[in-house]
Amino acid sequence: MNIVFTVIYLLAALIVVTGFYIQSNKYLRSMVMTQAFQSFLIALIAILLGIELKQYTFFILAVLVILLRSFLVTYFLAAKIPKNKNYLYESKLPTTYYLLVDLAFIVVSIFIVYSISFIHIVSRIFPESNIILFPMLLFFQGLFIIASRRRTIAQILGYIEEENSLILMGTFILPVPIIIESSVFLDVLILVVIFSIISIEKTEHKPVEELRG
Amino acid sequence: MLELILETLSQYLFVVLFSPLLIGIFEKFKANVESRRGPSIFQPYYDIFKLLKKETVITENSSRLFLYAPYMAFGIYSLIALIIPVFMTKPIIFTASGDFFAGAILFSLAAFIKIIGTMDSGSNFSSMGASRLMSFNFFSEGTLITVFFAVALISGTNNPYTTNHYLISHPLSNLSLVHIFAVFAFFMIFMYEFGKMPTQSEGNQEMGMIDSGIDYEYSGKALAVNKWSSYMKVYLLGSVLINVFLIPWGMFNTFPLFFLNAIVMFGKWIFLIIIVLIVDTSLAKLRLFKVIDYLAVAFTFSILFLILTEVIA
Amino acid sequence: MIYEILILIIPLIAMGFYKNIKITSIIAAIIEMFLLIPLYFNLSDSGFFFIDHITYIFILMVSSIYLMSLIYSRKYIHNVKNKGISENVYYMLMGFFYVAMEFALMVNNYGFMWVGIETTTISSALLLITEKSDISLEATWRYIIIVSAGVTFAFISVILIYYAFGTLTVTVILSKGIKDSLAVRLAVGIALVGFGTKVGVFPVHTWLPDAHSEAPAPVSAMFSGVLLPVALYVLYRIYEIYPMREVFVWAGTISVLFAAIFLGYQKNYKRMFAYSTMENMNIALIGLSTFTFAGLVGSLLLLLSHSFGKAGAFYSSGNVYEMSGTKSIDGVGGLIRNKASAASMLLSSFAVTGTPPFGTFFGEFLILYSVLSIHFYAQFGIIVLSLFLAFVSINFNVSKMLFRGKSEYSQSGINTAIPLIAAIISVFIGIVFLVVYHEIL
Repeated sequence: MNIVFTVIYLLAALIVVTGFYIQSNKYLRSMVMTQAFQSFLIALIAILLGIELKQYTFFILAVLVILLRSFLVTYFLAAKIPKNKNYLYESKLPTTYYLLVDLAFIVVSIFIVYSISFIHIVSRIFPESNIILFPMLLFFQGLFIIASRRRTIAQILGYIEEENSLILMGTFILPVPIIIESSVFLDVLILVVIFSIISIEKTEHKPVEELRG
Repeated sequence: MLELILETLSQYLFVVLFSPLLIGIFEKFKANVESRRGPSIFQPYYDIFKLLKKETVITENSSRLFLYAPYMAFGIYSLIALIIPVFMTKPIIFTASGDFFAGAILFSLAAFIKIIGTMDSGSNFSSMGASRLMSFNFFSEGTLITVFFAVALISGTNNPYTTNHYLISHPLSNLSLVHIFAVFAFFMIFMYEFGKMPTQSEGNQEMGMIDSGIDYEYSGKALAVNKWSSYMKVYLLGSVLINVFLIPWGMFNTFPLFFLNAIVMFGKWIFLIIIVLIVDTSLAKLRLFKVIDYLAVAFTFSILFLILTEVIA
Repeated sequence: MIYEILILIIPLIAMGFYKNIKITSIIAAIIEMFLLIPLYFNLSDSGFFFIDHITYIFILMVSSIYLMSLIYSRKYIHNVKNKGISENVYYMLMGFFYVAMEFALMVNNYGFMWVGIETTTISSALLLITEKSDISLEATWRYIIIVSAGVTFAFISVILIYYAFGTLTVTVILSKGIKDSLAVRLAVGIALVGFGTKVGVFPVHTWLPDAHSEAPAPVSAMFSGVLLPVALYVLYRIYEIYPMREVFVWAGTISVLFAAIFLGYQKNYKRMFAYSTMENMNIALIGLSTFTFAGLVGSLLLLLSHSFGKAGAFYSSGNVYEMSGTKSIDGVGGLIRNKASAASMLLSSFAVTGTPPFGTFFGEFLILYSVLSIHFYAQFGIIVLSLFLAFVSINFNVSKMLFRGKSEYSQSGINTAIPLIAAIISVFIGIVFLVVYHEIL
């Protein structure tokens, strides 16, 4: 347990907190910016690991995260926030509802998924720690955002959060080859572009009669 | 034995006598920040003495419960004062009667008794305050209990004195993730119970009345006792925050030295008051319906990190 | 090595002639078909590409359905009135979609397989808004978000495989034999949910009917004929690391049951065929999961025959939609007067429900046999029941469309040959496969 590890541990916890912040937030712009901050934290973790383990791939990862997630994706998304004031808000449900349902969902999923199985997956980077828990938490938060929100931009934020958690998980368990990991980023980027094409006409998603059954 | 009685008495008397002073100091400081002269720091004592001299008026429909509830609440807070380390850091006579968990439950019990007492008056204003308080307490008490659990999980015991010793002897535990977030959640709850910004519960406007609604129908002695027990509640919670979570160090527990604790506690409380003051003067008040969101955040943190301790440990 | 690279590059070169992409992409697709012949004699089992006989059958499927879809698109896409994307963009995206599928099939690396599957989602997403409407936009979005979220989940499986073996190369991992460790088991289980989203396993299938019903007919045919089998192929490659028979067979059985139940109350014929795809894919999944030779042969036969049959079904649906202007089963009637459309519709509906002379019947027969041979009697009962339900509901609905009512439809400007060809190939390919499978497997 050296100091770098402690810092990374706290940063990982902070990432989970940003996930909760996105979850409880109602303002789209603030959600998008929190996403940028979250990605920046991941880059920070990658840089710290790179310095600690002296592996240059982590620096590539950090640069990619900052460049693609913190800037490009944020730029595309921020440009797509509706200017109309009525659409600035994401939802009218109370924050408490989101927080508590999210909490219940996460606690149940973590107990099912993590404590039964993933607890036995030992992190190669940090043996003897349970740091994998944090990406798992983030992953389920992302899923919950996709499930609970109706606005396109909020759903895509949930998806980005999910991919963020994967990068974090890959980093903590055992970094997969950088070329595969970098495709995760391009993936999101293209998805955001597709989103910007679709969102010109459709910004909200509700059950449709024709698509039932 | 004499020593033990002396320790017990000094803890109890310190809590009872010192708690109004804190409120006075806080009000004075706040006035200074706002460039007012402000009341004397002994103003809460004057209020209490003045009210004690006045007669108690009771509504026609009230039963005895209305009259006795403040005294019962005061008694419960007195019991809490004896079982958690708010002055002494070693066990005293009544310590064995309960642990952290009992403390949290007793806090809830006192709130409950106060509420049914005030509901008994049949006043609309009081029942409005009571219903608000109940809907908020739903989260605040849950958080209180889970925070205590989190601490118990760190130290492996739910005896507050042992916890205190554990944290003194393991300084690194104070930096553990669970502890940090437990402190954060507890501080949020403390701010709520203190009734300061961002969830101001005192005040004469109808929308802001949470605690004041409880006291609305009381007068004279009963009101004095009610106010006094509120002061004690703030002192007890604040002392737990200081002595168990934030700065567990610097307490004495040998016979002649423990009187110095009065000074130590005073210093610690000044520190806490300054923090509260900064928060209080820099934040805007939340709307009444947002208070529940605020408490939900605290609750989320406490539960989440309770789970983390369970999974990680 | 050279043939694989050619297969991947030729469609991309065809995109270079952007002005004439309608013609060049078809030429490219024909060249691809010819390239398959030398590829058969140069299968690769190491290096960057990994192609064995199983992979080859999938590649054959993808190439031929791609060619047919392109030919069918020439008239169909031209006739679409409210286009969400221009015709050239459509052909370009089809090309990317095709290359992504071939890439996912051929690479010798689980990580790149994941990349390939993810790329198919991205490249095919915009194809769904070719026939633009509010509903198709909604369906597109559901497709993107559900499938991406699911396939993202599958990335955990890739991480865990890397964690367990220290490499992602398929041949190296498979040559180590079956390895039982918690990480491997988790990887296989998560792959069932992750890639299963794309295959259409029960709780995560919800995107499937939406996307299939709103996509233009040639794209629906690509989706159901080959995209889902490609995802199934990747899932099978992961399953081979550690076969979890019970879990996979049960997942498939439940999905088949639910697909049969959903089929019972469909009002939209494209959605009906989408659920039929879900049913067939899950039967193939069961066959592969039994991990017996009979199951494998049956699944390949089913997939091969189904891909042509279902392509025919969707092409005919496209024709019916173009003629009648509605996707509702009750809105269509008296189709029998249009002989070619009626014949292709009937034949392909027989093909996808597993009626005896078609390959799907023999495939399902072999799969059911293999389920019995590993003593999964409960599953066997459920599958037989579901197959019966699906057969009745689909053929009942199709016969309603054919024989009821007296509507007259004009067939001018509609491609009636391709659906018929696809349905007829579906009959022969099963028989041919049964004759030659000893040679090629």
